[in-house]
Amino acid sequence: SWRWGGSLLSPPKAPVGWKQACAWGWDVPALAGGELTAVGPRSFTGEDCAELHVHGGPAVLSGVLRALGRLPGLRPAEPGEFTRRAFRRGKLDLTAAEGLGDLIRAETEAQRRQALRQMDGELGRLYQRWSKTLTRALAHLEAYIDFSEDDNVEEEVLSQVDAIVRALEQEIGAHLQDGRRGELLRGGVHAVIAGPPNVGKSSLLNLLCQRPAAIVSPVAGTTRDVVEVALNVGGYPLVLSDTAGLRDATDPVEQEGVSRARDRLQHADLVLAVLDAAAVPTEPAGLGAALGSLLPPPAPPCILVLNKADLLREEGGALRDACARGDPLPPTTLLSCKTGEGLDHLLELLARQLARLCGDPLAGSPSLTQSRHSLHLGDCAAALARYGRERRRDLGLAAERLRLARRHLGRITGHVGAEDVLDIIFRDFCIGK
Amino acid sequence: GAAPAPRYEVVVIGGGHAGTEAAAAAARGGARTLLLTHRIGTIGEMSCNPSFGGIGKGHLMREVDALDGLCGRICDRSGVHYKVLNRCKGPAVWGLRAQIDRGRYKENMQKEILNTPLLTVHEASVEDLLLTEPEPDHPGKCRVAGVVLGDGSTIHAGSVILTTGTFLRGMIFIGLEMHPAGRLGDQPAIGLAQTLEKLGFAVGRLKTGTPPRLAKDTIDFSGLEERAADNPPVPFSFLSEAVWIKPEDQLSCYLTRTTLNAQQIIRDNLHLNNHIRETTRGPRYCPSLESKVLRFPNREHQVWLEPEGLESNVIYPQGMSMTLPPELQEQVIKSVPGLEKAKILQPGYGVQYDFLDPRQLTASLESRLVQCLFFAGQINGTTGYEEAAAQGVIAGINACLRVHGKPPFIVSRTEGYIGVLIDDLTTLGTSEPYRMFTSRVEFRMSLRPDNADARLTHRGFEEAGCVSQQRYEQAVKMKAALEDGIATLKSLQFSISKWSQLIPEVPISSSRRSAYDILQYPEANMEVLARAVPEPLGKLAQWRELAARLKIEAAYEWCVVSQQQEIEEVRRDEALRLPEDLDYFAIDASLSAEVREKLDSNRPQTIGAVSRIPGITPAAIVNLLRFVKTNHQKTEKLKALPQTGNLFTDKTHAGCIRSSSGCVLWQCQGVEQRCRMCRS
Repeated sequence: SWRWGGSLLSPPKAPVGWKQACAWGWDVPALAGGELTAVGPRSFTGEDCAELHVHGGPAVLSGVLRALGRLPGLRPAEPGEFTRRAFRRGKLDLTAAEGLGDLIRAETEAQRRQALRQMDGELGRLYQRWSKTLTRALAHLEAYIDFSEDDNVEEEVLSQVDAIVRALEQEIGAHLQDGRRGELLRGGVHAVIAGPPNVGKSSLLNLLCQRPAAIVSPVAGTTRDVVEVALNVGGYPLVLSDTAGLRDATDPVEQEGVSRARDRLQHADLVLAVLDAAAVPTEPAGLGAALGSLLPPPAPPCILVLNKADLLREEGGALRDACARGDPLPPTTLLSCKTGEGLDHLLELLARQLARLCGDPLAGSPSLTQSRHSLHLGDCAAALARYGRERRRDLGLAAERLRLARRHLGRITGHVGAEDVLDIIFRDFCIGK
Repeated sequence: GAAPAPRYEVVVIGGGHAGTEAAAAAARGGARTLLLTHRIGTIGEMSCNPSFGGIGKGHLMREVDALDGLCGRICDRSGVHYKVLNRCKGPAVWGLRAQIDRGRYKENMQKEILNTPLLTVHEASVEDLLLTEPEPDHPGKCRVAGVVLGDGSTIHAGSVILTTGTFLRGMIFIGLEMHPAGRLGDQPAIGLAQTLEKLGFAVGRLKTGTPPRLAKDTIDFSGLEERAADNPPVPFSFLSEAVWIKPEDQLSCYLTRTTLNAQQIIRDNLHLNNHIRETTRGPRYCPSLESKVLRFPNREHQVWLEPEGLESNVIYPQGMSMTLPPELQEQVIKSVPGLEKAKILQPGYGVQYDFLDPRQLTASLESRLVQCLFFAGQINGTTGYEEAAAQGVIAGINACLRVHGKPPFIVSRTEGYIGVLIDDLTTLGTSEPYRMFTSRVEFRMSLRPDNADARLTHRGFEEAGCVSQQRYEQAVKMKAALEDGIATLKSLQFSISKWSQLIPEVPISSSRRSAYDILQYPEANMEVLARAVPEPLGKLAQWRELAARLKIEAAYEWCVVSQQQEIEEVRRDEALRLPEDLDYFAIDASLSAEVREKLDSNRPQTIGAVSRIPGITPAAIVNLLRFVKTNHQKTEKLKALPQTGNLFTDKTHAGCIRSSSGCVLWQCQGVEQRCRMCRS
């Protein structure tokens, strides 16, 4: 459930389409058929309200919630918040109130159980650890503010707090980075086939989609525009793009094709890097270098496909060894688009990568709360980042950022009151006159 | 026959920091007030440390001053060393503090109290309270009507404020010796303690301590770290342009540290130390040297050597509070660098005393049990002069408003440290002497020492009537000047390149372009801006106090704005009041037994307070809201009917006192519980 944030946007008077929503700067992914309706002031809470009507499905919901969460001033409602607002506005009459308590209790109890279930796992332990770390950092900073002048709270405390906050910010940031699974599952993993000209990229596309979607010819630089096909690999949605071979082209049309290819590469979730098996070094280090020159870091996750395996002779054995050893190479396979040899292995690698990127859609938490979590974590990380900026200017303001970060994290792990902070202060410092 | 007993609107018992503020506030509000004290000579006594203010405490003093209280003004006339703590940590957490000349403070306070219009001072001990029928529309089983003095005579009163500090069954500990006393040399109040107990007040016990006092001329300061006072000194009061003392005449404080020898002496002699072995809760933040050594062993502990006055030969070794036998205290003192030859003028001692569970009070500090009886200060479980003064002002104002039949004056947590202090006490209670910290305050960025007048003076004048015309006008003038100044600064807009050209010393990085935006940079201030744009900013910069406040307002703007929404939320919740005599065990709301128990023992007054009680779920809050809503409507309907009388009278079963509210002896676990709200 969502509510309007302050007077940020005045609610529309009539249903509007997503186009309008996007025009307001809502970074809402295009969801055909979605609709926005204003229902205030005759809403449940009596406040101006907007209802978003979207297609069902957790992935869609999660995507919308995440997009909304990026808007300043919007946040998820707390348990029971709508009802509280309705009471305040006098919107709930006696009959309407009948049984509401039980309903709410059921709701919050379910939420609590749900939260507990989520909190039970590895993720829960991680959040709890962050919560503890942050509370301790806050307590030490508060101790420095309240007691450093008279008591033995030394300046070192501050640099310790700084280090803790920096580390925590990075850790949460990294955690959020790989939290796009729901989005990938919804929108499909965008995989790009990339490589030098004439290594068989288009043949690979055709092989994978089992039809001649791309024109194939022995002439280098045949593919100019990006060719896109949607596939289902092991149940995961895959959007596969064939791109122009990467080289310093002279033909202006090909130049444009190469620049589109590079653009695609930049936004790819997964790259199928294709090299000519007959033309690459056979030892892993050399292979790695060849791949590195094709995909300079930071490269997205990648599968290395060594095509034209049918042309290999005695060097095939060494290459096969290199493929099997893996490290320091990404998952690598030998393939012959011509004979189809190695396709099964490629599909297996692909499915494994997709599973890693998307997560298991059947297990785990409902995406609604997951997006709630990532929202609060994002806000928490942002507040931690601002702490660093504020720290040299005004310690009070810096502490405010930590308090804010703590509150955001508290929405996931539970509230921490002033008394908890004081407990840490008196445990860790000898305060006294 | 005998002359009729004298009658006052407000009677204050106790002449400490809570009592003097309470009496003066009630008198300022227009109540004929009587202050009763054992000895007029002890009015304004600083019985512990010779300092006022500090971090958090300084905030409280500014708020007391904004309500026209006394302690800030008197400190501006009595200090010997003024220092703003936390200077480099931002103006929201600046802590105004001063070492005070004990003698001067007492003298100035007595002069003030003895010359306050409408305020009479008598020397007498109070043995008992006069009680009478309760008013039907308030909770409480009876109403206080006056006091009985030690000589048996009576004084009638509309409201009574108890500010007896540590005197309720006070017990002093030095080594294995103990004797009853409120303060060294003063008798404890025993009759009053018994009266309160009989009335059913829940009482707890706390302890505190004070260090030995040393002779200044026997201390060797030469090797010690000196801390000089501020120059110029910053006054506490909004009314003071400057403090009384010349900056260069101020005295210094000195820092020394304990050694492991002290630890050894303390450890070897724990068996000679009753106070420390007792289980009574002492404060974690103001521990005795003994408990510091036990909890944080093998390290040095700071000792501040603080002057007690300009002419005084007494030094207060802050950090050396202890209760060892006097001869051992001497050994400990002599083990500290600089104090090798120090002479003890008075040994340190511990005090244990009764306090009343402050959850028995409303936010106006009136007791729920006995109408018109107010409590303020250490008796409510707090420690510190400033905490006492803050409660004193609020109790004084409300005792006065109560007799005049006006609604109570309550400072919310969103308005001031005073609000946080009283809300914490009355909602959550305390298990150790409660001291103010800035970390307790949710809206620390908004509740700053600089803007206490803007937050409270207007309300104090309009609603409480406790603020003088002069102070009110000054606050109004400042508020208008601030608003005008901010408007001027906001309307003054240049391009970024123009600004960079005008004030090259400020590295401008954002695209916001008003003078107010520029003022937010740490490098910018009104002087810099006025130099660049003399017209119209020159005038603003000349008024130095205004210029400083504008700078603070600009720097905290974003934070205050973002807190505003949250503050509104809290205020809306606080506006939803719960009935004082709500029986949480009886109400027909979907609440767990555990939640009912918690609500019953905490007696929250608003939905806001409910949400701060640990362990209360959102569902419980919604259920309570629903109950309040429906209950409120019923009450309104009943009030509309003529002559219905008390809402619950007909339901009262035999054996209960007149009104339903009279039965709510909520703190009792025995028989009374059965007839709460007359459930039978």
